[in-house]
Amino acid sequence: MMLAVLILIPLAAAVMVAVAPASRARSIAMVGMLGVAVMAGYLLFSFDWEHTAAQQFALDEESSRLVPSLGVSLSMSVDSISMMLVALTALLGPICVAASKTAITERLKTYYAWMLVLQSAMLGVFCARDMIFFYTCFEFTLIPMYIMISLWGSTNRKKAAAKFFLYTFTGSVIALAGIVYVAWSYADRHGMWTFDADTLMRWSRSLPAATQGWVLGALLLGFAVKVPLFPFHTWLPLAHTEAPTAGSVILAGVLLKLGTYGLVRFAMPFAPAAFVGHAPFIAAVCVVGILYGGLICWVQTDVKKLVAYSSVAHLGFCVLGLASCNVMGVTGSILYMINHGLSTGALFLLIGMVYERYHTRSMKELGGLAAKMPVWSTFMVFFAMASVGLPGLNGFVSEFMCLFGAFQASDQWGAGMWGTAAGQTPGATPGHLGAWVAAIAGTGMVVAAMYLLYMVGKVVWGPLVEPAGHSSHGADAHGHGSHEHGGLPRDLTGREIGVLVPLAALCIVLGVYPSPVIKALKDPVALTTDEVVNFGKARMAMPLVPPANVVPAGHQEGDPHGAGEPAPAHAVESKETAR
Amino acid sequence: MGFMMTLSTILATLASPIAALAQSEPVHAAQQEAGHAAAKMEAIAAPGVGPLWLLLIPVLPLVGFVLSALCAAFKVKSKLPAWLTVLCLGASFAVTLAMYLQISSGQIANPSVATGFEWIRVSWGLGDAHSIVANFGLYIDSLTCLWMLFVTGLATLIGLYASEYMAGDVGAGYCRFFAAFNLFVFSMSCLVMGDNLLLLYLGWEGVGLCSYLLIGYFYKKPSAVEAGKKAFIVNRIGDLGLALGLMLTAVHFGSIEYSVIFAKAQPYLTALSEGRLGDIPAVVQLIPVLLMIGAFGKSAQLPLYVWLPDAMEGPTPVSALIHAATMVTAGVYLIARTYPLFLLSETALPIVAWTGALTALLAATIGMAQFDIKRIMAYSTVSQLGYMFAGLGVLTSGGAAFHVFTHAFFKAMLFLSCGAVMHGFAGQLDLRKLSGVGSMPGWRVVGIAMLVGCLNLAGFPVITSGYWSKDMILGEAFANPHMVAIGWILLLTAGLTAYYTFRVYFRVFVGPKYFEPGDEVHGHGGGDHGSHGADAHGADAHGHKAHDEHGHEGHGHDAHAHFHPHAPGWAINTVLAILAIAAFAVIGLRFVGGHEGWVSGLIEHSSANYAGHAMYAAAASHAGAGGDEHAHATFFGYDAHTAMMYVSGVVGFIGIAVAFVLHFVGRTTAAKSRADALLPLVGPLAKWAQGKWYVDELYNAIIRVPLLVLAHLFHLIDKAIVDGIVDLFGWVPKFTGSSLRPSQSGVLHGYALSMAGGLAVLVLIVVMVMK
Repeated sequence: MMLAVLILIPLAAAVMVAVAPASRARSIAMVGMLGVAVMAGYLLFSFDWEHTAAQQFALDEESSRLVPSLGVSLSMSVDSISMMLVALTALLGPICVAASKTAITERLKTYYAWMLVLQSAMLGVFCARDMIFFYTCFEFTLIPMYIMISLWGSTNRKKAAAKFFLYTFTGSVIALAGIVYVAWSYADRHGMWTFDADTLMRWSRSLPAATQGWVLGALLLGFAVKVPLFPFHTWLPLAHTEAPTAGSVILAGVLLKLGTYGLVRFAMPFAPAAFVGHAPFIAAVCVVGILYGGLICWVQTDVKKLVAYSSVAHLGFCVLGLASCNVMGVTGSILYMINHGLSTGALFLLIGMVYERYHTRSMKELGGLAAKMPVWSTFMVFFAMASVGLPGLNGFVSEFMCLFGAFQASDQWGAGMWGTAAGQTPGATPGHLGAWVAAIAGTGMVVAAMYLLYMVGKVVWGPLVEPAGHSSHGADAHGHGSHEHGGLPRDLTGREIGVLVPLAALCIVLGVYPSPVIKALKDPVALTTDEVVNFGKARMAMPLVPPANVVPAGHQEGDPHGAGEPAPAHAVESKETAR
Repeated sequence: MGFMMTLSTILATLASPIAALAQSEPVHAAQQEAGHAAAKMEAIAAPGVGPLWLLLIPVLPLVGFVLSALCAAFKVKSKLPAWLTVLCLGASFAVTLAMYLQISSGQIANPSVATGFEWIRVSWGLGDAHSIVANFGLYIDSLTCLWMLFVTGLATLIGLYASEYMAGDVGAGYCRFFAAFNLFVFSMSCLVMGDNLLLLYLGWEGVGLCSYLLIGYFYKKPSAVEAGKKAFIVNRIGDLGLALGLMLTAVHFGSIEYSVIFAKAQPYLTALSEGRLGDIPAVVQLIPVLLMIGAFGKSAQLPLYVWLPDAMEGPTPVSALIHAATMVTAGVYLIARTYPLFLLSETALPIVAWTGALTALLAATIGMAQFDIKRIMAYSTVSQLGYMFAGLGVLTSGGAAFHVFTHAFFKAMLFLSCGAVMHGFAGQLDLRKLSGVGSMPGWRVVGIAMLVGCLNLAGFPVITSGYWSKDMILGEAFANPHMVAIGWILLLTAGLTAYYTFRVYFRVFVGPKYFEPGDEVHGHGGGDHGSHGADAHGADAHGHKAHDEHGHEGHGHDAHAHFHPHAPGWAINTVLAILAIAAFAVIGLRFVGGHEGWVSGLIEHSSANYAGHAMYAAAASHAGAGGDEHAHATFFGYDAHTAMMYVSGVVGFIGIAVAFVLHFVGRTTAAKSRADALLPLVGPLAKWAQGKWYVDELYNAIIRVPLLVLAHLFHLIDKAIVDGIVDLFGWVPKFTGSSLRPSQSGVLHGYALSMAGGLAVLVLIVVMVMK
């Protein structure tokens, strides 16, 4: 019930924004977002951290049933992976409202109402345990974002919004096709429909490897567009550049995570055999994305576009962690989702603050702002360092874990030149990646330093450069120092600092003491990776093209866990909707 | 060579009483080492539990950082941050001293581990067998003590110096400076004291960040910004090697904690000492090769040394502390700390030795041709670091560590003296524009400090600590039959070092009094520091050019007609005096506490002491049968260690004498000396050396430019092809849409169309699949 409340709070607030006068829109939105944050805080508090892999706060079965004939339900629950992302979403909500105060001055009601709806949809994605519910929320995030970009974006907003919508929509439709196929094949065999995630997961895993390959292909394509993985990333720089600041923050902070969340939550468990088999391919795509995206960042002149492209490189690391299919890599990847949301979100906020003052994002027109905006500059350097992966800050922990996950995931360890006298390498895990993948991806760390320091060196350091019309001697020469720019002073206001400080504090906390989070993620991650590796191995051994529609032995109706398969620990908690 | 030998004999007769002083140890060192090797066969002791107050050593500088940051937040416009810094760092030094005393008296076990809290723990199996743990914990042994003593000690002194040096920037810049200064000491403590490789990595990158921030301290100056960026990126290349080495260690040994690694490496060390090299897998031999890439980056060795000379853009106290005394020795520390791993590879230490020797020589040749005195000191740092690496490579970790220790004092002093000159003469660093500074009123302390520093750097025989520490490395190189070539390179470098060091001294500190002030006028507040330089060199990408050209920019003398150099005040003079005394005092350490001095005595009880062990093994494997006798090479029939005492002394003497003749005798102006007449003799060599052998240009041409081209190419491809294909797909519905309903535009249209398109695809797929 609590999850339903969580999702309904922003919806209710959206309705109130719609009926209340425009002058109240922002306050109501803020209250709604804070309500979500408080609710999420309460959930974090009452979450059972001893059983992190268990699906908690599940909606009871009766009230969640939606379309019984199709087995569609509103089933929701969270384990610690979902909980973390719910917390991230809830955190960024109020920050986005606060950051929009001076940036958004028109059509306030529409803006805040859609932002609240978006919040609802995003929370729905992370809570859903029914594939149709998940997909609906997943798709519904597009509409508010489309509207935010096309109404409050910059000059090229129409094109950016359309491309964003069409591209990601096409991708998700393909993902839906994969989901529907699995559900259909289940219904075909069992004579009844269900979209319950756990049921379908177990069913999907029992499909032959070749079929799993197609399922994975469909899911991967859909989620890869959303992540975005190279070469499906081109909507992202455009959308980011044109979106209003809060839109960019949500886009980078949460929307991209829908893709990676989909991968870890659904793609991996739905098609473990295929995922393990194709891990080297996925890793290769990630590595290309890391280097390609990183190098492109290095030649940008639009600072916002630079940060947008950096997401392509960063999420390459994130998915690389997933491709390693071990606890180290997948935990790192989930941490990466959170950390990227914090640091890149903050970078977009910072760029937005400069844009409000100078109305440009071009690094040719901006430079040496440390002289004018020391507080802003301090935050900029801080978050750039978090993004570059400086140890002690959050980005490092996850980046290192993703790289190390890929490094250790190789069957080659302990054999041949990688062998040891005793034939043991205690740090190795099974897999098909290994040292070379990690080494090549690791050069992305150097590239990240190149482009982020290039950006910092241009915008923060160096001789002061301001766009034409802004005095280069500022306060001294003309004695104003402010007041032309929407009432904003030269350096950051208390509100703006207040927006950044929680993010900065979390960056430090997650960098210095990530241990509890890693511990909390361990069980669900271990469950996922065990399933992936074990099922992967079992399925890969099977003949590639088995006779059609043969159900593996032991997977009969009324035996939900399948006699031949290890029962996942969370099955106890999960809901069988289609009984 | 005959000449050299003759000189050596002459000096031998002259100096025999002095030599007798030190003769007893090296002669029998070989046997003693062999004995140690045998005694050291057992594993490095399992660590005891250290007391938690040791955590104060890193925490106090962190407190200093927070306080300085608060000063910045509250816009403190006084020297408060400096005093807070000196207080915190001084306290940290006191705790370090207590740690050292307790370790040496056995109250704290050597080694010990003091665990603060759990930083990262990832386990993927059931037990601890499959987990990687990185605690915020400290590994305390005598190697840690040695490093922390000079890190915190020098940081305190240099903090005091900086309180005066940075006085022109009191305000935001002052707070920023001291915040980064404290953060540096914190990071350095993590690097040195961390009980696992990941915490070392944290410190490693942390000092890199502080270096970046402090090099770019004068942020309005593009050359400073560029230099900071270069330092960070070049270091990151090294860091990648370190990270991969760390991962390989983790995969192979299943841990990154030193105590576990050393315990698990022990069977390999035993195999090595028994000559069973085949039992050591290739993957283990790869670990040190990866780790050393990190060491080469941080310690500015070939091929990653290029960032250090540019790092001189930072304020001088930073150059002294970070880029001369402490941070750049992190690479030496890393190798010393993981020495057991380095010994497991047949190639690792020879690579280290050759890299060190070649870097030493290359940097010395560049240093000979520069005019910017601070930059000469930078190249001398690179060169001296080369000595330390060579020392590690020729298996005298004690000698390398002793050189680190002595170098820390005299090089810090040299930089601080140069800094005092720079401070007093408005940024003037060109040795052609300064002369006789040492005899100007108020500059006496600086002059003496500079002389002491130069004597040490040049390795003036017997009375300087630099002589003794360099000698240990040289002697060991010649004593090792496989490393004689390295010995010769280092000996040649010693001569060059003496020459270029005293070139600076004879040009700038003695001779006719003359000066041209630089173009920075001190004393005006705020962050305007260096903006002048920025205007003048706006387009200049590299700081060194900027500096070399200062003199040609036509700053007329009129502009500075009333310029008076301001002599250093009490803080600077006190620090210089303390350092000058310390530079001499550390000679005493050569003769106390162990047969090779106090430092070697400390090293002996740490992970870095496998030198004897390795020599034993190397002899066993290389010298063929019966090789468990320590194969000792000789220097033309004399014992290498003894002979080096004379030879290196003579070489140093010659270098100084040449500098005296060329740059002091008969010099009447600041700009010209007799050396100029010799320039045509060496042809373009002098110009090339002045151009730093064009290594920067080479790297630019073969790495940076191709990458830049590639990046632009990718950007084009991204726009034209990757996105082009997408647009192509986008065009089809758009085209059909617009031809059907040409004037309709807007949101709903797009929705409808895409929904329809999506559904069509969906239906298509479902139908196909169901078929």
